Amino acid sequence: MARIPQRCGSQATKLTHQAQHLHQERTKVMRGFGRQCRGQGHVFVKLVRHTEQQLLELGKPITALGHQAQQLLAQATALSDSTRKRWDEAFNAAMSSHAHIRKQSPQLTQGKKLCHAKLVNAYDLTIAPILKGKSNCPAQFGRKPGIASDPATGFIFANRVPEGNPYDANDVLPLLDKVQSALDRVSALPRLRVHSVAGDLGINDAALRQALHARGLLTIGIPKTVEPINPTPTPEEIHAILAEAGLQRQRTPYQVQLACACGYSRPVVESHIASLLARGAGQVRYKGLQGAVVQQGMTVMAHNGATLVRIRQQRLSKRAQKFRRLLGLRPRNINQINNQKN
Amino acid sequence: MRLLRYLQHWVSGTGLPLHVADFVPDTDPIRQWADTFPWTALVAAIEHRFAQRFPKRSPRGRAPIPVRVLLALELLKHEVGASDEAICHRFRTDFAVMDACGLQEYQAPRSQGHFVLPETLCEFRGRIDEVLMDELIAIQAAAAMETGLVSPAHLVIDTFPCEQGSQRVTDATTLYKAQKKPSN
Repeated sequence: MARIPQRCGSQATKLTHQAQHLHQERTKVMRGFGRQCRGQGHVFVKLVRHTEQQLLELGKPITALGHQAQQLLAQATALSDSTRKRWDEAFNAAMSSHAHIRKQSPQLTQGKKLCHAKLVNAYDLTIAPILKGKSNCPAQFGRKPGIASDPATGFIFANRVPEGNPYDANDVLPLLDKVQSALDRVSALPRLRVHSVAGDLGINDAALRQALHARGLLTIGIPKTVEPINPTPTPEEIHAILAEAGLQRQRTPYQVQLACACGYSRPVVESHIASLLARGAGQVRYKGLQGAVVQQGMTVMAHNGATLVRIRQQRLSKRAQKFRRLLGLRPRNINQINNQKN
Repeated sequence: MRLLRYLQHWVSGTGLPLHVADFVPDTDPIRQWADTFPWTALVAAIEHRFAQRFPKRSPRGRAPIPVRVLLALELLKHEVGASDEAICHRFRTDFAVMDACGLQEYQAPRSQGHFVLPETLCEFRGRIDEVLMDELIAIQAAAAMETGLVSPAHLVIDTFPCEQGSQRVTDATTLYKAQKKPSN
């Protein structure tokens, strides 16, 4: 704000002084705050709240000063159009971040619980705490990407990096849409389809189950309780599962058997995630939401390449080999082996 | 696609060109990994998207670095866990990386430090948006399904945390960081 009047002409000295004064006062408050906390090993909640109140008091004129600066920027003739536009965008972004911070600050100073998607970075409103952070301990913040993978081999068909930290169940349908877009590109016959979806208790949602059943997908792989899913259901149980989902005409008992066997298994999913983490997916290194999307996407593609190498070389677990047999996915190197023998 | 024609402004050495593929055995892990990608379809998708988003206004200027090279470098970066600088350096010296990037012949003077600068890789990455990234993954998945290697019949869906940093979630911290950044 102090830079705008400097660049726009010498008539706005009052605004420059006000902005500089505000900056100095803020520095004083923050210096005192850091000094009292240093070396203590823990945070004094009262002190944090007191500092927040001081900052809120100090920051009251920022909105009015911002309007003045904006008017000044609009009238500035010394700046070129592109520079003015760039400054205007940066200034609007800064004012919008300030509004966000001011909105959630009074809640904290009054000891109220903060809303779900609390702001942790004024320059990127799309990141959120990925743990339930409290004001007296550090909390991780970042993204929570979702993946849709094949439980047998670990091949990832789709991934999604959402804004903030939304409810896990909200990820499922967009991920399935992405898988469908990949399926639409396949021209080989018979047409491939998704038969079932598995997930942890986090996606155990009645509305989601209904939506999946409406798409003709079995949801037996999503547990309803902490009890493990029965991998070998009896014919009566299979019948009941199909009746409950209303999919008697769309899904066969054999598909239900496979879906039960492919039910959610923490070690299986962890192995897929571990492969991504080994390729650097555990920490966002690129800037912003777009950067996170590119990083995760490239990591998924690199992981898929390695998975395809494993499949081609038959370096799969016994479980994966069995599933591939049951799904009719035969190794493609039969002729090659015969040629070698001959 | 003859990449060498486009790489002429970097690969400008004299003498007999070396055939990169001859130096990389079939069993090399990077070669096997690179052979799984449907490069033609991926490159076509990127070129189409870039042409839509960043139309070329003038025919003048130096020929761009091939998308095939940049995409392969970006993917390799994640596969081998290298930094931008490290992977660009390996592209200059490592035959397996050159082969994965589709470079067929090698003929460069010793004084040439890089074939691709890390900044170029960063700029390429900045042009990729979410729509394109989803399309690339869909192309890879479709190619794998087409060859009968994988099936999406039964899917497992899960999320995992991806950390950007950690801080005390107080507004004082947020405000402090926000105000500190522009002053730097």
